[in-house]
Amino acid sequence: MIAGPMLSYEGKKRAVLLLIAFGVVIWIGGDAAAGGSAHWSRVLVRLPLLLTGSASGWPITGGFVLNIILSLASMALATALGTIMGLATLARFGPIRVPSFLLMNFLRNSPWLVLLFATLYFLPFEMHVFGTTIPFPPFVKAVIGLALPTAANFSEVIRGAVQSIHSGQWDAARSLGYGTGQIYRHVIMPQALRRMIPGWMNLYALLMIATALATVTGIQDVLTILNTLLAMENERVIVYFYLTILFLFIAYCYPIAAVARRWERAVKGESL
Amino acid sequence: MFGLDYSWLADPAYQQWLLTGVVNTLKLAVLSSSAAILIGMLGALGLTLRIFWLDALIELFVEVFRNTPPLLQMLFAYFTLSTLGLRVTDPSTGLSVPLLSAFACAAISLSLFGGALAIEAFRSGIETMPRSIIDAARSLGYGRWARFWRIEAPIATRICLPGLTNILTNLFKTTSQASVITVPELMYYAGQIYNDTFRTLEVMILVLLIYVVLVSILTFAMARLEAFMAFPGYGRVH
Repeated sequence: MIAGPMLSYEGKKRAVLLLIAFGVVIWIGGDAAAGGSAHWSRVLVRLPLLLTGSASGWPITGGFVLNIILSLASMALATALGTIMGLATLARFGPIRVPSFLLMNFLRNSPWLVLLFATLYFLPFEMHVFGTTIPFPPFVKAVIGLALPTAANFSEVIRGAVQSIHSGQWDAARSLGYGTGQIYRHVIMPQALRRMIPGWMNLYALLMIATALATVTGIQDVLTILNTLLAMENERVIVYFYLTILFLFIAYCYPIAAVARRWERAVKGESL
Repeated sequence: MFGLDYSWLADPAYQQWLLTGVVNTLKLAVLSSSAAILIGMLGALGLTLRIFWLDALIELFVEVFRNTPPLLQMLFAYFTLSTLGLRVTDPSTGLSVPLLSAFACAAISLSLFGGALAIEAFRSGIETMPRSIIDAARSLGYGRWARFWRIEAPIATRICLPGLTNILTNLFKTTSQASVITVPELMYYAGQIYNDTFRTLEVMILVLLIYVVLVSILTFAMARLEAFMAFPGYGRVH
């Protein structure tokens, strides 16, 4: 027997993943040596265009960076809307709870693509409010179209986190004479916030992935640029282009989702 | 009403398109969600075996499929699988044609996408189970299988259900993206109809309503199942 450092289960797992990553690198190297380098160099030439939308990499007119900007803007809007909607669905007062519950369900149950199409066609090109003109370029429409379903999902995250707090907490706080607002502020929210953060981060990763749909609004996101590029490439190179874009999304979303999962694991099971 | 014109709905051709679209959407959804649940169960089962290389492979699969856009996965399957060698020679014409149709590409990529999400949901359901329950069952003398069937499975199922509902509705909604690779489902025919009639608003409202109704039926059924199986003492807010 070889006496060596014993690897833990997690260590062995990581070793296998490292081996696979190593295999991929070797495959890319081998492929490049076997004539694929012409394909890879075509991807490399186009990479700045895919990332920022301009051939030299600056200024940013689109590409993957636009997807990131789009996701950040939508998430900000979705967080604000979702918080209002989430607390409204928890309200005891029926005329607030029922409509917001229906709206939340409507947004949650309609496909992202259809909502995006809908905002694209329903929102006017510009809107006149009190004499000022608010323009609705495709980018703004995409932000709104993506924020609507995300807000509905975030309100579910809030509702889920609040409801995961044992009902005994409510009874105890109420018996101490707290009002509903006070219970939320001092008892429920401090506990629920911890459980909301992983859901919020997961939702962001999901939203980032959904920004690929924004290609239907015609903004110069990474997929629109990819489609324009593919028109002048041969069949074989298309595979390399797709793999590159898939990798871009993994590279951006995986770290966020991984941190969210670690956090989720830390807070799960607290309620049982 | 509201200046909406639904007169095109009287045309039997459009009715036929909508019907075909709904049927294809349901076909795609049922096919990919059953495959996804199966993949999820097998994956979660595989994880409980604690074999390090299998664990690593499943983790890789999950991470790749849930951190990339399903739209991109479908496009990848549709445009590159035939280039990578999945082609057959059509005996009638002698031409080399792609082995997989657009529908098959969509069904496969949706199954894999949903499967990756389902593995995660089932795994977290199994993991969330408090160790103390298993220890208590063991101390009461439950054997390996009795413990699984009578203690672990019932609790894990209840914990998994909300996650599973999310995944199934998510998958159902994602089927609309198959229209991008020309799968003739509801969204595809909607596009056809408003290109024909220029009644974008009316068609879009109708399609949204159809999707919301279909998904609502699904979520309602799952909510009933959840309520039926709920733990007493949890989930009451006021």
